Amino acid sequence: MNFEAVIGLEIHVEMKTKSKMFSGSPNSFSREPNTSVTPFDMAYPGTMPRVNKQAVINAIRVANALHMTIDPLVRFDRKNYFYSDLPKGFQITQQFHPIGREGYLDIEGKDGQKKRIRIERIHMEEDTCKQLHFADYSLLDYNRAGVPLVEIVSMPDMRNGTEAMHYVEAIRNIVLYSGTSDGKMEEGSLRVDVNVSIRPYGSKEFGTKVELKNLNSTKNIETALDYEIARQSACLLSGTPVRQETRRFDEASGKTVLMRVKTDAVDYKYFPEPNITPIRLSDAFVQNAIDTCPELFDAKQERYLAAGLSRTDADIILSNIDMASFFEASIAPKPALSKIVANFLIVEINAYLNKKGIEMKDLPLEPATLSDIAAFQNDGYTHKQCADILAYVLENGGTAEEARIVKKIEKQSSNDDEVLAFVTAALDANPQSIIDFKAGKDRAKGFLVGQVMKAAKGKVNPAAVAKVLDAELAKR
Amino acid sequence: MKEINLDVLRDAANRLLFDMSDEEYRTLLEEFGVLTRQMETIGRIEGLEGFEPMTFPFNCETDYLREDEPETPLAREEALRNAGSVQDNEIKLPKVVL
Repeated sequence: MNFEAVIGLEIHVEMKTKSKMFSGSPNSFSREPNTSVTPFDMAYPGTMPRVNKQAVINAIRVANALHMTIDPLVRFDRKNYFYSDLPKGFQITQQFHPIGREGYLDIEGKDGQKKRIRIERIHMEEDTCKQLHFADYSLLDYNRAGVPLVEIVSMPDMRNGTEAMHYVEAIRNIVLYSGTSDGKMEEGSLRVDVNVSIRPYGSKEFGTKVELKNLNSTKNIETALDYEIARQSACLLSGTPVRQETRRFDEASGKTVLMRVKTDAVDYKYFPEPNITPIRLSDAFVQNAIDTCPELFDAKQERYLAAGLSRTDADIILSNIDMASFFEASIAPKPALSKIVANFLIVEINAYLNKKGIEMKDLPLEPATLSDIAAFQNDGYTHKQCADILAYVLENGGTAEEARIVKKIEKQSSNDDEVLAFVTAALDANPQSIIDFKAGKDRAKGFLVGQVMKAAKGKVNPAAVAKVLDAELAKR
Repeated sequence: MKEINLDVLRDAANRLLFDMSDEEYRTLLEEFGVLTRQMETIGRIEGLEGFEPMTFPFNCETDYLREDEPETPLAREEALRNAGSVQDNEIKLPKVVL
């Protein structure tokens, strides 16, 4: 029997705001434990929630990017549970009236074709505190308690791990480029819970759902799902029913491992949050949030392709938002240099970052300087010469022109008449090489080019030399 | 509905980690008595099942949103002052994993 997988994703995204969802506590990832806490986060009596405007703006932007219907009346609800990760005894969320409903996202399917994934809802809520569990005790850091989240819930429209991976990548690009979140799965600012079941092909019924956790990279999502789909298929083929359970992905083995068997659903006794009066967003507010949204990944990609970059090059640059920002700042004064600038970023600057073990944002180079270096290349300097200038600037600072002078780099001539003089001299001085070339020894040509470059002290363009040399060899 | 008496109030206060004077408990009990009678009065009105429960006493809306400006957080010592046990500046609890 053949099975198909039914996959739905719930993605929690920590929003990049200055303060928390309902309190003025600073919202930052790496502060010392329990130093980003206000009385509200600790549920001191008498404290009241105050909704963060930027969090609402961010949620609107993500909802709009996902083609959702936005509810202009913002309402919150309480999800009640007693656990140490949230001292109020409840989480403030949007159970009954999510800010966005019924959207979709187009992704690339496993076969390379476009596939539309429907999105059920997006809602705002607050994060819980960070718990570190040891053998017989737990440590609590309330810095994360109250950090703004959006939760994006897809419909069960995905059918394999690759689709799920592409969906998460697309969501990450949206939250990253809209400025909503840094989208770092490895740091937990984008967390993915996967629900997966299998059913015989053609069946409309859903199978028993298994939840997967601990998926901290997009690749792990694909690997975990591929494994889990095979595991569930093997269960059914051997007559063993799939249990409703939560499993975690074990990166070392590439397998999913049982965490706990699901019992009855917990009753969270949701009810409307009485401490937050419903907030009416004006049309102008919603529209302004959308209009001022930073340019999204897809729009940038389209623009880069129009500027002449290949899809691969555009995607390499866009895979790092800091590199994309640098690229745009570099080409802003001279858009025609896009391809040259892109080449430097993808090859030389990426190599430099890897060698130094630093991030793009720490690159010791101004975008204007890279723009100047690209202009040199556009003006006739070779890529190698420009790469030398770049390397010098990266190590020593200063401007492109200063580096060029220090490195004594002169523009190479491509003028046929100038090149011809050097070529003629080299041919006259090396008759044996002409004989060798005619006899089929290609190396003889390389030798002659070298002789020309040496005589010209590197001031002629090698490509121009090769062209003139070919013509002259043919005449002799 | 569960009868509200002094024992119920004392038990609730104990669970919420606070206590009051006997006079305060008596005042609270009287207030609960008033609330209970009001709810019984409302409950006698016919046709109530046709109405959605309300969270607020009347339909109200606001347009207030807090500007995203960070405020000064509590000093760590202050934030941890009520914790029964602290280790490495984190609150230490018996392990309970949901």
